[in-house]
Parts: sequence; structure tokens; C-alpha cells
Amino acid sequence: MRIRSLLTFITAGVIGLAASSAYADLLADIKSKGEIVVGVLGTDEPNSFVDPKTREFIGYEVDIATAIADKLGVKPVFKQLAVAARIPEIQQGRVDLLAASLTHNKERESQVDFSLTTFVTGQKVLVKKDGGIENVADLTGKKVLTVKGGTQEPNIRKAVPNVDVVTFETTQQAFLALQQGKGVGYVNDEASLLNDHAKLGDAKKNYRILPQNISVEPLALGIKKGEASLKAAVDGVLRELEASGEAEKIFFKWYGPDTRLQFQSRDFKIDSDKIEG
Amino acid sequence: MLPNRAARQSCMPDFDPALVLAGPYHDLLVSGLKLSLQLLAITFVLSLPLATIVALLRLSPLRALRWFGCAYVESIRNVPLLAHMLFWYFGAPELYPESVKHWLYAMNIEAISAVIALTLYTSAFMSEDIRSGIRAVPAVQFEAGRAMGFGFLATMRLVILPQATRVTVPPLISQTLNLWKGTSIATVIGVSELMYQAAQVESASFRSFEAFVFATLAYLSVSLLITGAASWYQHRYPVRPT
Repeated sequence: MRIRSLLTFITAGVIGLAASSAYADLLADIKSKGEIVVGVLGTDEPNSFVDPKTREFIGYEVDIATAIADKLGVKPVFKQLAVAARIPEIQQGRVDLLAASLTHNKERESQVDFSLTTFVTGQKVLVKKDGGIENVADLTGKKVLTVKGGTQEPNIRKAVPNVDVVTFETTQQAFLALQQGKGVGYVNDEASLLNDHAKLGDAKKNYRILPQNISVEPLALGIKKGEASLKAAVDGVLRELEASGEAEKIFFKWYGPDTRLQFQSRDFKIDSDKIEG
Repeated sequence: MLPNRAARQSCMPDFDPALVLAGPYHDLLVSGLKLSLQLLAITFVLSLPLATIVALLRLSPLRALRWFGCAYVESIRNVPLLAHMLFWYFGAPELYPESVKHWLYAMNIEAISAVIALTLYTSAFMSEDIRSGIRAVPAVQFEAGRAMGFGFLATMRLVILPQATRVTVPPLISQTLNLWKGTSIATVIGVSELMYQAAQVESASFRSFEAFVFATLAYLSVSLLITGAASWYQHRYPVRPT
């Protein structure tokens, strides 16, 4: 009996503790912990991926998240997430911030809050040149490959109503399946597609990216719904980064002319959390 | 802060079973359940004869055949099913000749790879159950069969296997249970079975709870049916004392 009452006591204590910490403000929690847990994909070059030498997460979104952590005076802790796990993880509070190629759209606004838009990309389709696919409409009735749980699948279904979509846990598995000929097209954000295309090396000439956008995707950081003070702090840092030119520097570091992606210009500014449509 | 918090918590959507009991999400989940059941049925039908062959190889009088059976079982059952799935989908087909590959890829290569992986995996486990069932039949039965002039295979078919079946069926049914749960791993290679469709519903509707409750109940009901079949069989055909 004594052990049981001890257990009850401990359980009650744990629940009480969990409850009390859950009622504090998330920003205050982060500051008192001294660290911010950032959910990243880690498989999505150049937004977030693993440096083969140091085994650390690096990339555009990792740099932005690190800059935010610095300004908040806390340590960033990166946690790798699957595409489909992003929104559940932030809702359940297992990560404090999502920097995981997260599209800001109307459907998701009821699930999660978004920071200012940190990147804008179109979504496109990469195909093999000898596959007989000249434009997006040619994909009707064909098998295309993409990642599970992102906006890629709904967008391609909207663009090509009768398309057959097969999804995988990571974008790179879908890309591999395209190379092996298991489908005729691979759908992803244009920035990631450019990077994947460049990775092919000599085989690059056998592939092309269809010119039409199947959608335009504003990417943003994800914040747990209702955490207004954290959102204000994150947006504040993003505005500072934009004003100081730091944001542009980070963009060119990962997307600029010296990278595989070779973007010559930056066609967006980090200044709004409003989206169209 | 407190009232605000409470308001936030209450705006979490309530559990709404209607969402998965009718409409497009229901159809998706049911199509997934159907495919899972097909995977189960096809794999079961293919695994059973393969498992019997492997079990007989392991009991064969020829050392080379015994060695081959043993190598098959050990190399397959010691590797996780997930690795088998990825291998048969991403790895193995790349080794086939170009023409075979084109022919295969034009079909539902995802489901085919899943059936191959599940069949090889399940038969490795089932063959061990069959083998132990056969070994549970006293050796004198085998000797008697041989003494009456039957060959190895004829003795097996007429004397040993009918007796061994009674011992073997309960563990085989439990392997079928494992097979049923194993079909869910096919989701990683894009097979649109039940787990895949549940994830699909989750990302389309953000109703994770409803989608996975549906999947859980579906897995549970089929599993309980299989378990029920096992206990019915044990009552109806108990092991005979020899």
C-alpha cells in the first residue's frame, strides 16, 4: 500500500508539473529553458540538411532559426521531422518552432500560426526528357511521385485532376523513384527541384523541369496556435533581419549565384504574414 | 492568460466519428482497408506453399538442401521487414534487365514489391512453425511410413503432414496475425493500404485522431477475427495423443 500511495503521489506530482508548465507562456518557457526546439526536415537541401562533414543541420532555414535564437538569447536545438509530422509536432508542443519548408496556406491557418513569409517558391514537376511529357497537362492518367503530407500532392491533384500520385516519407525517396523510372514526374518546390536537378551531374541533361507552376508557395515558420508573444518575437527578429540586410545575405548564401541553385535575384521580401487566396 | 488558454483549448476540434464513417475520407480509408486485406490474402496464399517447401528442405536427408533451407530462414528472418520492403522496391528491381523493368514498372510495382517482401518474410517464419510441427510427430511414424515402402515425400504427404497440421495451425495463425500487421509497413513504399490512407486523411483534414482510430479499429477487428479462428480450430481439431 505504501508503494502504491507513493506512486499516486508521484503521478499526481508529474501531472501537476506538466499542467503548470503547460499554462505558462511559450516564449517565457523558451527563455527560462534557455533553448528553443526547432523542427526541421533535414532532408531538404538547401533549406535544411545535414552537413556530411560535421553531421550538423545546415541550410537557409537553419540559419534563419539560428538568427532568431540568437536574438532571443537562447540556444537553438534542431529536431528532425518527417514532412507529415510537422503540424502534429508543433500542435503537441514537442517543438517550439517549425523551420521545415512549411507552406503557409488558408487550410493550415486553423491549425498553426505562421510567421512572416520567409521564402516564396513555385511548385513544379521534374520529368525525364524521354518520358514524352511536354507540359503539366500531359501528366493526365500518369504516375507522379512526391512526398507524403505536404502541399505537393493536393496541388498536383488540383492541377491535373486524373493524375495517379504515389507518395513517400521523404522527397529524396520520391526523387530516387523518378530516377528509377517508377513514375514519369516528381513534384516538389521549385527551389528543391533545382537543387535535385543539379545533383544529377552528367545525367542532368536527360531531365527537365516543366515550366508551368502548379502553385505558388509562400513558406513561413510555424508557431503553435495562439502563442501571440512568441509570434511577435519571431516576426520582430525577421523584420530586423530584413532591415539589416542579413536576411538577404542568408538567401544568397544558400540560393545565390555561387550555389547549385544560381538564383540571380531575390524576388520577395520578408515583410508580411498575409497570403493571397 | 488563463481564460485565453481555456478558450484556445476548447477550439481544438472535438472527436467527430461521422467524418470517417461516410463521405470521401471514409471512401479513402475503406479503399485502404481493401488493399490491406488483398495484401494479406495474396501473401498468405503464396507464403504457405513456400514455407512448406522451405520446411521440407530443412528436414531433407540431403545436407545441401538442409543448408539451403537454413540459409533462407536465417538470412530473411534476421532482417527487419522495413528493410525488406525498401530493398524489394528501391533495390532489387534495379538489378533486373531493362525489358523486365519496363514491364514491371508499368504495373502496380509498389504493391508487387510489397507482396514479394511480405511473402519472403512471412514464409521464413511460417517454415519454422511447420518444421517444428513436423518434428512434433514421433519419428517412429516416419520410420513406419518408410518401412511400408513409401518414399520421403509420400511419407510426408500421407503420414506426417496430416498429423503435423493439427500442431502447426495455431502458430501459423499467429504468424498470419503478424503478417496482417506487417502489411502496414508497405506504406513506406507508397502502397495505398490502410496506414497510407489514414495518413492521407490526416494531412488532408488534420483529423489525425479520427483517421487513426478508424485504422486501429480496422486492424483490431481483423486481428480478433484471426485470433478467433485460431481458438475455434484448436477446439475443433485438438492435437491427438500419439
